Amino acid sequence: MKIAVAYKWAADPSEASVSPDGQVDFSRAKPKISEYDAVAIAMGRALADAAGAELVGISAGGSAAATPLALKAALSRGLDSAVVVQSPDLESAGTFQTAQALAAAVRHLGDVTLVVCGDSSIDAGAQMVPAVLGGLLGWPALTDVGAAQLAAADNRLTAERSIAEGIQTLVATLPIVISAAAGALAAPAPGMKDILAAAKKPSQVLSPADLSLELAAAAPVTAQVKVSGPARRCVQIDTTDPATAAAELLAALAAAGTPIGGRS
Amino acid sequence: MIGTVYVLVTGPGGTVSASQLVAGARSLGRPVTAVAVGAEDVAGDAALAGADRVWWFGDQSGRPPEAFAADAAKAVAAEPGLVLTGRAPADRAIAGAIAAAMTAPVVVCATAVEVGAGSSGLVTGPAAGGLVEQTVEYASPVVLVGPALAPAGAAAGGGGAASATEAEMPPGPLSEAHPYPVEQASLTPAGGQKANLGEAAVVVSAGRGFKAQEDLALALALAEAVGGELACSRPLAEGLGWMPKDRYVGISGNQIAPEVYIAIGISGQLQHLGGVRGAKTVVAVNSDASAPIMTAADLVLCGDLYNLIPAITAAVK
Repeated sequence: MKIAVAYKWAADPSEASVSPDGQVDFSRAKPKISEYDAVAIAMGRALADAAGAELVGISAGGSAAATPLALKAALSRGLDSAVVVQSPDLESAGTFQTAQALAAAVRHLGDVTLVVCGDSSIDAGAQMVPAVLGGLLGWPALTDVGAAQLAAADNRLTAERSIAEGIQTLVATLPIVISAAAGALAAPAPGMKDILAAAKKPSQVLSPADLSLELAAAAPVTAQVKVSGPARRCVQIDTTDPATAAAELLAALAAAGTPIGGRS
Repeated sequence: MIGTVYVLVTGPGGTVSASQLVAGARSLGRPVTAVAVGAEDVAGDAALAGADRVWWFGDQSGRPPEAFAADAAKAVAAEPGLVLTGRAPADRAIAGAIAAAMTAPVVVCATAVEVGAGSSGLVTGPAAGGLVEQTVEYASPVVLVGPALAPAGAAAGGGGAASATEAEMPPGPLSEAHPYPVEQASLTPAGGQKANLGEAAVVVSAGRGFKAQEDLALALALAEAVGGELACSRPLAEGLGWMPKDRYVGISGNQIAPEVYIAIGISGQLQHLGGVRGAKTVVAVNSDASAPIMTAADLVLCGDLYNLIPAITAAVK
């Protein structure tokens, strides 16, 4: 039995810059394994150890995703091996194409009964790949899972999660796709031993053609503009004396036409 | 129903209500089909919200909505159309299954939608983590997840001729349903009040500047003093779990437009600021003068929140 963990080699947009004409510059934002994916790998590792399963990382991306640096970063987190679907068309792939590539990787591996995803990707942050992946595989998808246990003998997964209605416990029969809630469990940074071991772990880089996969065409972008909120005034209020600062704040709010408090 | 717009609803837990979704769908000038998944009252709510037609996928077994993802996806894909839904876990799970069945792109938190002839259209939404906004041209239906079209607090349906009795609703469990083997073993209701951030005039929001969960009492006291709601940044709801998830503000959480937004101990990452662009006045209280929030606020108090917040609460009283 195999458990797959989907991860994305991507940079954090909060480290990128954007020009006034809407061009995003990622050159100073380095791609990495995000905290969300680290949690997913840690959850997958715990489930695989308990079930005696093999833990395989699966990823989709452009050329950077298949570099030794990217593979080592992922493998050092505790994966046994990795499969990367690589193509220029996956460089900035949308939710659907990413899910297509991951579904092809799952089918290629065979014997996968559980896919664990992170809460969201660090760059797109749509939180939608697990559900589309589940749909393409014909498997159910459960997102926001805080804790999961596997009863491999009877093919069942128990998942606990916090939703708006309360704490929910679900029991599902495999196969299934789940996503780990952010902070579901601790994912310590890999140590030197993990990094050294990662270099010896097997990995496979495949093209969509290798998988007989035809990626859906990307929709054309007709406009891209820099997002700018309303201009904010940035008026500094002296905080040397908290009581004076508080009074000044209330006066400034009233002057701005947005008073707070009982007299508003 | 040619050219129908689908509204996917899975329960009351989302940040967008059925009536907001129906109002948004109706603004496109197309017939509205509600796809209600889960408990029977979800279908009733969708009908009351003014949908022209309601499809219910669920049964009385207490299975979670996710179990019916394939059934709902198959029905929608047989008559493809634009889909609008919220961002609750079940909303996302079923929207993804529908996207897979329709081979449709997914757009999260779209801000504008223009429907053209047939299924084509232009959709505008955030990209690159909210740094930019992209307008994309689609030739086929799109699945829109998260707040789209209807502003928070939008009025119910209006103009919809349907009522619970007129709407087309399967009378019971679908005879051809093939639910996934997913059961709900237990549900322990969460304590505390349901958040209503969208309608509050003043929102007091706490971030990682608070050193301990107990200290959030300071922010709560201020929120109560001004008759506002307490919110938080994403790390407090997800990483630390100090606050319920329905109270976090950001691109992926609540997008709100209060009269006054008071950000306490919040650094002001893009993801967070994207949730408060519509606020009339933003106040920042933070000890770090270089935090991004300090250049994204109208009124800036640089200092120790543990001294400043009690002082502001006292002044309000």
